[in-house]
Amino acid sequence: MVRKSWIIFFGLLMMTSAALAATFKIITQEAVIRKDKRFFAPVVIRAPYGEVIQELERQGDWFRVIYREKEGWVHISAVQEQAFRVPSLTAEKAQETSQEEVALAGKGFTPEVEKALRNKNPKMRYDLVDQIQDYKIAEQQLQAFIRAGSLKEP
Amino acid sequence: MRAMMNKRFFFWMFLVLGMLLLLAGCAEVVQVGTSVGEGMGRISKEDKERLDRMALKGEKAARPMTEQEEYFLGRAVAATILGQYRLYRNERPTRYINEVGQAVALASDRPFTYAGYHFAILDTDEVNALACPGGIIFVTRGMLKKAQNEEELAAILGHEVGHVSHRDGLEAIQRSRWLEVVTFLGSESVKKLSGAELAKLVLLFEGSVNDVVKALLVNGYSREQEAAADLSALTCMHRFGYDPRGLTDFLEKLAREQAGRTGQGIFATHPGMAERLTEAKSVIAGEKWPRLDHQARDRRFRQSLNF
Repeated sequence: MVRKSWIIFFGLLMMTSAALAATFKIITQEAVIRKDKRFFAPVVIRAPYGEVIQELERQGDWFRVIYREKEGWVHISAVQEQAFRVPSLTAEKAQETSQEEVALAGKGFTPEVEKALRNKNPKMRYDLVDQIQDYKIAEQQLQAFIRAGSLKEP
Repeated sequence: MRAMMNKRFFFWMFLVLGMLLLLAGCAEVVQVGTSVGEGMGRISKEDKERLDRMALKGEKAARPMTEQEEYFLGRAVAATILGQYRLYRNERPTRYINEVGQAVALASDRPFTYAGYHFAILDTDEVNALACPGGIIFVTRGMLKKAQNEEELAAILGHEVGHVSHRDGLEAIQRSRWLEVVTFLGSESVKKLSGAELAKLVLLFEGSVNDVVKALLVNGYSREQEAAADLSALTCMHRFGYDPRGLTDFLEKLAREQAGRTGQGIFATHPGMAERLTEAKSVIAGEKWPRLDHQARDRRFRQSLNF
């Protein structure tokens, strides 16, 4: 009986370790996966929000990852370790799980909520916020700015 | 008696394992474990249900705001501020503060947010800088007038990037309000939002926005949050090749102005400039960071920001 208990204990411990193993979700609107582990390295592929990528190794603040069979480096702040999911044991459970996921994915502070808030408060200047967020500094421009100021690329 | 003691032992064993699994955000794994335990008669049905409830509650209560939610919150905060202040529209200074700010952000602990960092100038003589959650950062014309070189500008923007990086804005949201959001979203009944449910969510969202705006414009952040943002600015500047004394030079000016006056803007929301100055100086002295030449950067500062 004691042996069985230990088997359960270690089984659960292994599931915990698996839960901590590394699959990541992209948490920025678009993450850039690069050839080397530095900010302005050539782009290998871009991954949109919510996509899942596989970690191969970590070096400092960068992860070497695989996404759509392409390998490259992504910064730690653009990804989040994915919560581990055990395959559901019954159809009922699977349905319950997916409903929960749908609820979480589709709700919260979303464009739907923003639209309702915007209609309710016409004094809020979302038009200007859009202009501010549409203003972009190109990567080459930023690199040139850094060089011209004798600054160091981090 | 022995069977009962065994069940107690297993209850505690599952509780400890459950805590470990919750750290990994896995209430579902806890549920599988407790089902196995119950099936084998190791824990009672009541204990299984109790552990499952604890796991679900723990996971939901612990759920932080997602990056995407933070982005929408930050947009609403920025839209509210822009309802109160005029946006300064001039390409050259706007481009320049975005170049300095985005460069400094790369050296921060959080170089990437959901939609990146964006910097804009508020057309007011009030002296202030405001970081909205997610990365929209405002700096007033009055504040920019006080900066004398690019190092000082980098210090101002680096400090605000620090607030975004540490998610200080989110800390301003009343805990009870966020728990209500999480509980509401997690409830089984909310599959598709009805009109009333959407209205409730909008109200909660609005309350969260107001909490953050109030912290930015009225109450300010805690001294600990300000000190952490200063440290973050100093570190970014050093990593990036700016002279960190840009921060102490600027704080020195503000501390002088703050002495003996009650003011608006930054002087109201940022008490204790003198203490911040002392702390920042001691960090620089402790790290033995050398003084750096910044004449080339001073030139482009004068060409770009001319108020």
